[in-house]
Amino acid sequence: MFSKENKLEKFKDAETVIGASIKVKGNFQGQGDIVIEGSLEGSLKTDANIYIGDQAKVVANIESKDAVINGEVRGNIKSRHYLAIGETAKIFGDIQYGEISVAKGASINGQLLLLSEDSKKNEKAKSEEKTQSA
Amino acid sequence: MHVYIYDDYLNKSKYNKTINRIEIRLTDLGLNGKILRLGGIKNIKGAIQNEIRLGAKTIVAVGNNQTVGKIIGSIIDSNSSPEFPKKIVLGIIPVGNDNSIAHSFGIKNEEAACNILLARRVEKIDLGLIGGHYFLNQATIQSMGTILKIDDYTIEITKKGEVKIINLLSDKDQTIKSNPHDGLLDIYIRTQKKDWTYLTAKKLKITNPENKILIDGVLEIETPAEVTITRDLVHAIVGKERMFE
Repeated sequence: MFSKENKLEKFKDAETVIGASIKVKGNFQGQGDIVIEGSLEGSLKTDANIYIGDQAKVVANIESKDAVINGEVRGNIKSRHYLAIGETAKIFGDIQYGEISVAKGASINGQLLLLSEDSKKNEKAKSEEKTQSA
Repeated sequence: MHVYIYDDYLNKSKYNKTINRIEIRLTDLGLNGKILRLGGIKNIKGAIQNEIRLGAKTIVAVGNNQTVGKIIGSIIDSNSSPEFPKKIVLGIIPVGNDNSIAHSFGIKNEEAACNILLARRVEKIDLGLIGGHYFLNQATIQSMGTILKIDDYTIEITKKGEVKIINLLSDKDQTIKSNPHDGLLDIYIRTQKKDWTYLTAKKLKITNPENKILIDGVLEIETPAEVTITRDLVHAIVGKERMFE
């Protein structure tokens, strides 16, 4: 998801891609990577990673492992591992993260909360479990 | 034993030579069997099940996608009936146009079809069901105004384009990936060149009051329609050049 130059890139083989002309309403859950370029209202959750494009409008609580936010999000974000907030991002909600990077120009209206070491350890254990079972 | 189901349109004189060529080739390969003509059958399911009772193991559709559509339900019903414990295998000999299903199976023409029947490479393939009609390839509908209801969410499409619900790819489109063994429907929505959506589902409901759904390029049905998929339901004879692993 993050290139060597630390650019915020889309996942090439995302399991789900929601295009710019699509409106999703409801509770959207997945297990693989999700790319949102359109609009979504409800909730958005995956065990893997989420990419929110710069034209996307999301009114939902978001939960994922890694997340890249470039668009508008109205809701709370929980990124258990790494959260990257791009320069075009507009976030109205609280953010929980394992690690974070925020680009110049991004706007955040909410609280930032670092997840506890216990949460990170749980996440690491989950990842290792998945690697072993794969 | 093979049973060959000839579609009605093959009665036209322009197909005489092709049919003769097929029959000679099948005889040469030792694959000759009983021929049933759909035009003369009122109860397709009854006729096919009767042939299975008499020992038929392979039902071969001689025709196009519509021919496969006409007989696939009878084969599936027989395969799920305790009266017929042995799985009946579907074969296809494509004649004329609208043969995307045969192409998906790696069957390019009637001559190749005869050789493929002889080689008898059997694959299990998922089968889609939409509004009571089975489909092997895909169902399509205009995207504008279409609403898809999947699990706990809905998808609304507000621009012109096309929605494809794919089980088995009919052409080698490098941008689309579809696996007919995973028990999942692949949903592709393309509204502009660079604006596309992709997701998978086991079940969905399609609504569009203005447009109909086109199944396997030949049959149109009204919405709302529920789409489901059953894993590995069809046992089909396929060629080496098939469009799936």
